Amino acid sequence: MSFKYNFLFFVCSVFFNIHSYAQDIALTKNLLDTEIEKKSNRYKNQKAFAKAQVAYLNKEWDSTLIFTAKQLNISNNNDDLINYCHFFRGNAFNQKKIFNEAEKEFLKVSESFPFYNLTKMFLGTIASEQKKFEKALSYFIEIENYNSRELQHIDKLNIQENIALCYMGLGKLQEAEPYFKSVIEVQKKKQDTIRLIGTYGNIANLYYERYEDTIAIKYFTKAYELSKKTKDFYSKYTAAANMSVVEENRRQYKLALTYQLEAQRWKDSVNNQSKIYEVAKIEKKLAVEQKQKEVDVLEAENKVKVAQRNGILVSALVLLALLGASVYFYREKVKSNKIITSQNEALDSLNATKDKLFSIVSHDLRSSVNALKTSNRNLVSNLETKNIDKLGGLLNSNSAIVNGAYNLLDNLLNWAMLQTKQTYFNIEEHRLFMLVEHVAFNYQALFAEKNITFINTVSKKGKILADQESLKIILRNLLDNAIKFSDLDGEISVYSSSEEDNYIQLIIEDCGLGMSEATRLELLKETSLLSKKENEDIIGTGLGIQLCKSMIKKNNGKFSIESQLGSGTKMIVSLPKPSIDGQS
Amino acid sequence: MDKVNVLVVEDTPAESDKLIAALKANNFNVVGLATSFKDALTLYHSTNPDILIIDIFLNGSPDGVSFAEAVTLSPEGAKPFVFLTSSTDRQIFERAKLTKPFSYLLKPFNELELLYAIEMALEKFYEQKDVFFGDEEDTVISDNYLFIKKGKALKKILVSDIIYIEVEDKYCNIITKNEKFVILISLVKILKLLNPKVFMRSHRNYIVNIEKVSEIVPSDNLIVLSGNHKAVISDTFKDKIISTVKTLK
Repeated sequence: MSFKYNFLFFVCSVFFNIHSYAQDIALTKNLLDTEIEKKSNRYKNQKAFAKAQVAYLNKEWDSTLIFTAKQLNISNNNDDLINYCHFFRGNAFNQKKIFNEAEKEFLKVSESFPFYNLTKMFLGTIASEQKKFEKALSYFIEIENYNSRELQHIDKLNIQENIALCYMGLGKLQEAEPYFKSVIEVQKKKQDTIRLIGTYGNIANLYYERYEDTIAIKYFTKAYELSKKTKDFYSKYTAAANMSVVEENRRQYKLALTYQLEAQRWKDSVNNQSKIYEVAKIEKKLAVEQKQKEVDVLEAENKVKVAQRNGILVSALVLLALLGASVYFYREKVKSNKIITSQNEALDSLNATKDKLFSIVSHDLRSSVNALKTSNRNLVSNLETKNIDKLGGLLNSNSAIVNGAYNLLDNLLNWAMLQTKQTYFNIEEHRLFMLVEHVAFNYQALFAEKNITFINTVSKKGKILADQESLKIILRNLLDNAIKFSDLDGEISVYSSSEEDNYIQLIIEDCGLGMSEATRLELLKETSLLSKKENEDIIGTGLGIQLCKSMIKKNNGKFSIESQLGSGTKMIVSLPKPSIDGQS
Repeated sequence: MDKVNVLVVEDTPAESDKLIAALKANNFNVVGLATSFKDALTLYHSTNPDILIIDIFLNGSPDGVSFAEAVTLSPEGAKPFVFLTSSTDRQIFERAKLTKPFSYLLKPFNELELLYAIEMALEKFYEQKDVFFGDEEDTVISDNYLFIKKGKALKKILVSDIIYIEVEDKYCNIITKNEKFVILISLVKILKLLNPKVFMRSHRNYIVNIEKVSEIVPSDNLIVLSGNHKAVISDTFKDKIISTVKTLK
């Protein structure tokens, strides 16, 4: 609402007019704004108007113009709303110093508008801004005599002062004088020092115009004196500058210079102040920018946070998957560990068995070799004493020892070959009788030694499917056993029977020691490799019988034992027959 | 009857001595002893053996198998053979097995096993199973020889020496220039195995060697063969024999 003192009076081209005072005006303005806000609030439901109102109150003039234009474009607005719109627009144009447009807008405001007087005031100021003093004067005089309630926040002093200024502008100094004087009176009462200084300046100018220099100088001096009491730099500057001009005109150059310097000082202060304002503005701008930056930073942070959150979510999922996978693999590992452990145990026990086998085999071999050593020593001593008769017996016993050791080694070799699957193994058709004959042929000497009768009554037609060499190993072991457990003058018979359809049973029967049921079961057990040495002399490693069992199994055969302690043993090997068409 | 010729391929003197002694004790004629792959090939071609006994390992390498392969690859000269080995090493056996027919003898072996292996080799080679070990038959017939088991011993007869064969039940009387003996074989089988262009039936019970025919007396139903042997000829087979003899003469 800077409709006051906006026009300058140039008496000597350096006379300064007095400006409005922010504090004072702001107060009035605030009151007015509140009033306008209150009264216009009932149109809040109109969106554009609501926005326009907010913009107006916030002094965003461009926005005000845009939104009011929008609101005006809408049909069926009521008059009051239209008045508000024009009022806002007028004021906005006025603030933007587009006076022609402002005047147009204000003129559109109808008399029913609550702030119509205010509109007139605006029109007056606009006219005076355009130096159309007469027109302005008519507006001002129109509202001059209204009482304060009708004037609504318009300071009557302002009107009077403006009238005075208008008269001055028109050169009607006589008419201006009483207005100034009445204004001064009121201002004095109010102790409104700053405005008083301004008014003193104006009235001084008036007298100066009328060349009543003495009175003018009195007012100038008054203004100057008063200005010393205020803190308003602009008032001080104006007063000092006026004094300087006055003194210069009175040719008091020295004084004029002093005032000039003072004015200059105050002007600098004003500049400083405005600089401070500018600086404050810049600071504000900077602060806003800073805030904006902070907002940006926050936004960026938010983005980063979102990204982080997503990242965390993804990594959580990945971790979960990893966890699942590791749990799965851990369980698998535990499972396989269990298997491995059980396998280890099995292997350990097998290894222990093997070690035991080693110890027994080596023990047997050592005894054999030791016996051979002793026997050889006897042989040598008998040879030295030419005791020829004993040599034969010793040699026989030597060969028996060697034979036993050989059989043991042979079984050991075959066992190893069987375990490592290095042997050639080929199942073919064979005549059982022939194979028995072949094997028995090597035992003739042994039979003779023990005077054992050997009878082979295996069917000559009987054919079986087997691997030749492994079957021979089986037969050798069974015959060894039969001989071992037979008494002197015993009988060993080998015969076949074909009770089962697809098998031929080969039975090796002796009339020797026989065995207990426990021993029998022990021998037939799947895994027991070594039977206990119940009888050091004749019970061996058990390797032979184990080898037999393994090889019979590999030949797809079956093995069983029938025995009675003291009356002999039957070892029964069942081997598959070739199929009827004779093909193996 | 002649002894069967055996060629021994063995590089260990102790082994070969034992082997040769065993063979001789069982009436085999050992025609040669080779100790290397090269010797073996030379002797094989020069001595006309009936059967080969080959040690798989000659001087530490399995040259025995190579030799057997070489023999097998010459079809006109292929002969039955027995592998000798002291191990049942599987890889070597897998290779030896490719030289079909395959029979082997594992050291140490006894006489029975040796004879069995030789007989098995003959049976497998001439594809006449179950001849020597059953009670029904005792003869394996090759293109040139009959291999006959007499007791434990194995003998051979040159097929071209046979003048005629007289069949009695399961037996066949073989008549050669110098000998007459009985073998166990069925008529059907002997007819199938002998060359039908040379050996023809003249009667239900007679098979004659056409090349030995000197005269046919149809009126007496007689056929006169070399050495003045006489065989019976029946009406059923008369015409075919006469025409065959005529074309030959």
